[in-house]
Amino acid sequence: MRSSNTMNFLMGIYILVFFTYLFGPLIIMSFTAFNSAEFPAITPWECFSFRWFNEGKIAYDGQHLAGLFTDWRLHDGLISSLIIGAGVVCLSVPIGMAAAIVLTQVKSQLRDIYYSISIMPVLFPGVIIGISTVVLWDRIAGLGGGGFISDVGRNGIFLTILAQTCFISTYCFLIFVARLQRFDQTQEEAALDLGATQTQVFFKILIPYLAPAIASAAVIAFLASFENYNTTVFSILSDQTLTTVIASKVRLGISPALSALALTIIALTVIAAVTYEVLRRRQERKYIESQEEFVKEKAASSRVNKEYKARLKIPKGIVALILLVIIGSYVATQVVKNDLYGNSCIEAADIIKKSKFLDQLQTLESNQLSDEDLQGGSLGGNQDYGDIFGDPTLFQDFGGFD
Amino acid sequence: MSAGVELKDVSVTFGSFFAAKNVNVKIEGGEFFSFLGPSGCGKTTLLRAISGFQDPSEGQVLIDNKDMLGIGPNKRPTSLIFQNLALFPLMTVAENIAFSLEVRGVSKPERMKRAGELLELIALEGQGDKKVHQLSGGQKQRVAIARALAVEPKVLLLDEPLSALDLKLRQRMRTELREIQKRVNITFIYITHDQGEALTMSDRIAVMNEGELEQIGQCDDVYNNPLTPFVATFVGENNPLFGKIKDLSGDEAKIETSDGVFISSIDKSTNLNVGDEAISFVRPESLFMVKDGNDYKNKLSVKIENIEFEGNVKNFYASLYSGSKIKFSVANAIDTSEIEASSQIELCFDTSKSIILPKGALATE
Ligand SMILES: Nc1ncnc2c1ncn2[C@@H]1O[C@H](COP(=O)(O)OP(=O)(O)O)[C@@H](O)[C@H]1O
Ligand SMILES: [Mg+2]
Repeated sequence: MRSSNTMNFLMGIYILVFFTYLFGPLIIMSFTAFNSAEFPAITPWECFSFRWFNEGKIAYDGQHLAGLFTDWRLHDGLISSLIIGAGVVCLSVPIGMAAAIVLTQVKSQLRDIYYSISIMPVLFPGVIIGISTVVLWDRIAGLGGGGFISDVGRNGIFLTILAQTCFISTYCFLIFVARLQRFDQTQEEAALDLGATQTQVFFKILIPYLAPAIASAAVIAFLASFENYNTTVFSILSDQTLTTVIASKVRLGISPALSALALTIIALTVIAAVTYEVLRRRQERKYIESQEEFVKEKAASSRVNKEYKARLKIPKGIVALILLVIIGSYVATQVVKNDLYGNSCIEAADIIKKSKFLDQLQTLESNQLSDEDLQGGSLGGNQDYGDIFGDPTLFQDFGGFD
Repeated sequence: MSAGVELKDVSVTFGSFFAAKNVNVKIEGGEFFSFLGPSGCGKTTLLRAISGFQDPSEGQVLIDNKDMLGIGPNKRPTSLIFQNLALFPLMTVAENIAFSLEVRGVSKPERMKRAGELLELIALEGQGDKKVHQLSGGQKQRVAIARALAVEPKVLLLDEPLSALDLKLRQRMRTELREIQKRVNITFIYITHDQGEALTMSDRIAVMNEGELEQIGQCDDVYNNPLTPFVATFVGENNPLFGKIKDLSGDEAKIETSDGVFISSIDKSTNLNVGDEAISFVRPESLFMVKDGNDYKNKLSVKIENIEFEGNVKNFYASLYSGSKIKFSVANAIDTSEIEASSQIELCFDTSKSIILPKGALATE
C-alpha cells in the first residue's frame, strides 16, 4: 500500500516535470506575445497589448518593429510555404501510394531491397538533398539556354517542392505500407471476379480503402513541408518561406512578433487536433450505436430483451470552457484595474524608457575618452588590437567580399 | 443458363511442387459437383484455375466447351465465393450485391431493383441499407451468395463457404444452398474438406488427394465402392484389415490377415493377384455383434477398450488379437448395456459389406 503510494507520488512528479519540460517554453513564449516590451520577456512586464499581433511598434529609439499583421516578409514567406506545401502534397501522396502498392506486388527477395531503397531518402541529411537538388537543376537550367527550362530550374519554389518531395514521399510511403499490410487482397480478386476491370478495382476498392491513409499522408506531408528548414534553406534560392524568414529574423534579434506567430500556430494546431478528435469520437459513437442497435435487434428476436440505460455524462469540455472563462475574466479585470492595458500604459512606459535612453546617450557623450586612455588606460579595450589594421600582410590572402 | 465445365489434364505447379496434377473431370451443366479432399490437397488451386485467377501450367479449362486460355476472371461466366467471403466492408449490403452491375454500367434504379430481388431470394428483404459488419455470420454468407448470383453466372464456384459457421447454422445452410441451386438452376462447383457437406448436397463428388483426383462418382457410389484406400478412409470411416490375397473367385476374394481369414467383395477392375498385399475395409456400422459366430464366414474376436456415446449411435473402440484397433458403432436403439470396457466379444460382417483394395496410403486425420 505504502509503496504504491510512493510510486504514485513519484509518477506524479515525473509527469509534472515531463509536461513542464514539454510545454513550459511554449507557455512562457505565449505570454511574451502579449507584453508590449520590445524584447520578448515576461519580466519586466510593461503593458498588456495585442500590438505584436497587429501593427508592431516604432520603438523609442526610432527602430521600426513590425507586428504579425503588418510584416510583409512573413506574409510572403507564408504564401510561399503554403504553395510549396500544396505542391509537396500533390506530388508526395501519389508517389508514396504508388511505391507502396508496388511493394505489395513484389513477392521475392527483391522485396527487402526495394523496401530499403524506398526508405533511404529519410536517412539522408536534408541539407544534402537540398544542395544536390540545386546542383542538378543548375546544370539542367544551364543546358536549357535562356528559355522556360532555365527559368524553372532556377525557381526556388519549384526546386523546394522537388527537394522536399524526395524525402516526404517516403513518409507517405510508410503510411501507405502500414495500411496496405492490413488489406485483404481477396477483395481485389472478388471485384475482378464480379467483372470489374483493373481500373475499376483501383478506384472502387483500393482507393476507398486507402482514403484514411490518403488523408493522413496529406496532413503529414503538408506539415513536414511547412516546418522544413534544412532542405529548404538551400533549395529556396532567392525566395523565402516562413521558416527561412523566421530564421533570418532570429539572426537579427528576436522580436515578440515571433512569439505572436508561434502562439498563432500553436492555437491553430490545437484547434485542428481537437476538431479531429471530436469528429473521430462522434464517428466512433455512431459505429457503436449501430452495433448496439444490431445487438438489440438480435436480443429482441431471441426474446432476451435487455434494458439499455442511457448514462448521464458530464461534458468535460464544457466544464473546462467555463473554468477558462472565469479565469480569463478575472485576469482581464485585474489588468484593467491596474492600468496595465491600453495606450496610456504604453505611453507612460515609453516615456520612462526614452528618458533612460537619453540619459545613457548623455553618459556616453560625457564619457568621451582621450586617445591616451584608449592606448594604455586601465580600460584595456582596444590597446592590444590597436595595430591590427596597420599590419599590411593581414589581408594579403583575402579575396575580398564578392 | 448453366454451363458445363471440363478440365483436361490440368496441372498446376508452384516451382517444382504439383498443387494439382493431371486432373481430368467433366462437370455437366446444372450439376451440383463437389471436390472433396483434406486441407492442402489443391482444391482452392483447382477452383482458381477454373475462375481464371491461376493459369494451369498444363492442360485446358473448358467452360461451355470453350477454351478459357487467356480469358481473365472478369470475362469468364463464373462467379467465385471466397473462403473468407471477401465482402466489401465499406459498402452497404445492397451495394455489395449490386457491385457486379455497377461495374457493368447498369443504372442505379435498375441496380437497386435487382439487389432487392436478390435480397428476397436470400430472405434478407429490406436489409439492403445495412453495413456488412451489422450482419451475422449466416447473413454474410447469404449476401456473398447473392452478390455472386447478381452477375447471373453460368457456373458458381464455392470455396468452403460454410467452414466459418457453427454446426447448426452449417447444417441449415446446406439445405439452403441446395435449394438456391435448384431455384437458379446453374452449375455449382463446391469445395470442402467436410465429407458430410459433400455427401448431403452434391449430385457427384470428386475425391482429391495431394493434387490428384482419386475417384469421381455419385455420393453413394463413392461411399459404398471406394476405389482406393485413401477414398475408403477419407469418405466416412473405415477399419482396415491388412493382409495378403489367398484366393480370387469372381467378385469375391479371400484375404489372410493376422486376425484370421476373411472373404470380402472385390471390384473386377482391381488388378490383384493371389499373394499380393491388400487391405479389406469394413465400416464401423457394418460390424455387428453375435452370441455365436459359427454361422458367419467373417468373424473377429475383440476386446472392448473404450465406449463413446454419441447420441444416435454408440461407438465402441476395441483391439484385435494382433493388437490393431477397430471401431464399430451400434444404433442407440439397440440395448448394449451388458457390454463394458474389457469385455471380450465376437464381431461379424457380411462379405458384401466389406471391400478389398490394393495396399496404399490411408487418409490420416
Ligand atoms: N501461390 C502459391 N505459391 C506456392 N504454393 C502454393 C500457392 N498456392 C497454393 N500453394 C500450395 O498448394 C497446395 C494446395 O493449396 P490449396 O489449393 O490452397 O489447398 P486447399 O484449398 O485444398 O486447402 C498447398 O500445399 C499450398 O501450400
Ligand atoms: Mg482452400
